[in-house]
Amino acid sequence: MNSKALTRAAAVTIALVAVATIGSELSGGFKQLLSSIGGHHWIGKSVLSIVAFGLLYLLFSRISDRHFTLKDTVFLIGTVVVSGLAILAFYVMHA
Amino acid sequence: MVNPLIFIHAICAELGLFAFLWVLVEMLNPTETRIARAQMAAVFGFAFLLFAWLVGGFYYVEIYGLHVKPLIKASDAKWVHSIVMEVKEHVFLFLPILATLTAALLYKYDGELLENRDARLSIVLLAGLIFILGFSIAGMGALISSGYRFALMAGMA
Repeated sequence: MNSKALTRAAAVTIALVAVATIGSELSGGFKQLLSSIGGHHWIGKSVLSIVAFGLLYLLFSRISDRHFTLKDTVFLIGTVVVSGLAILAFYVMHA
Repeated sequence: MVNPLIFIHAICAELGLFAFLWVLVEMLNPTETRIARAQMAAVFGFAFLLFAWLVGGFYYVEIYGLHVKPLIKASDAKWVHSIVMEVKEHVFLFLPILATLTAALLYKYDGELLENRDARLSIVLLAGLIFILGFSIAGMGALISSGYRFALMAGMA
């Protein structure tokens, strides 16, 4: 298992969930596309997150795992905070 | 009456979150025995969060959307859905990813965690993040339940 690749895949997937969440509210077509995956846009985002996490891990697996550091985790935590706040800010502004 | 799926969803999610708090505590001063317990806790935590995801998702799509959401949106507390529920349902999707990563790091580094400070601190931070994020989401769940009760009472008045 490549820790660096898994951490990066997690960060990009979480950012992708935030982008898909906001994007689906701004574009009816995109929301419809997500809904077509499992009958509901939230199921579509759930499936998207699982598939993206797996594919991104495979993509990032080429990166060397020798220097997994705390910086990788801090970057992921930063992504979680920014993505969560972006989702919150979007819904507060569009409520 | 509260739908039993809500109860199952909340209990599973909270057990999952406490499992990751357990991971955090074990990793503060690890020994080989504590690492083994943390690995077990992470697997249980991941499984509970996965089950909470499935049960909560089923409730959200099949019941909440049809029976609860319209009532809340028709009340003065419509922000409970348009802000709180929207944020909750999407931020929740971060948790299974973070739980997978934490469990994977525990198994990858195993006994090496005694020496590898960065890997150990990464697990501590991730487990703490899962716990804090998860309980923020649980708080949102409580707020949604209150919003539903408010909408029901307003409908009866």
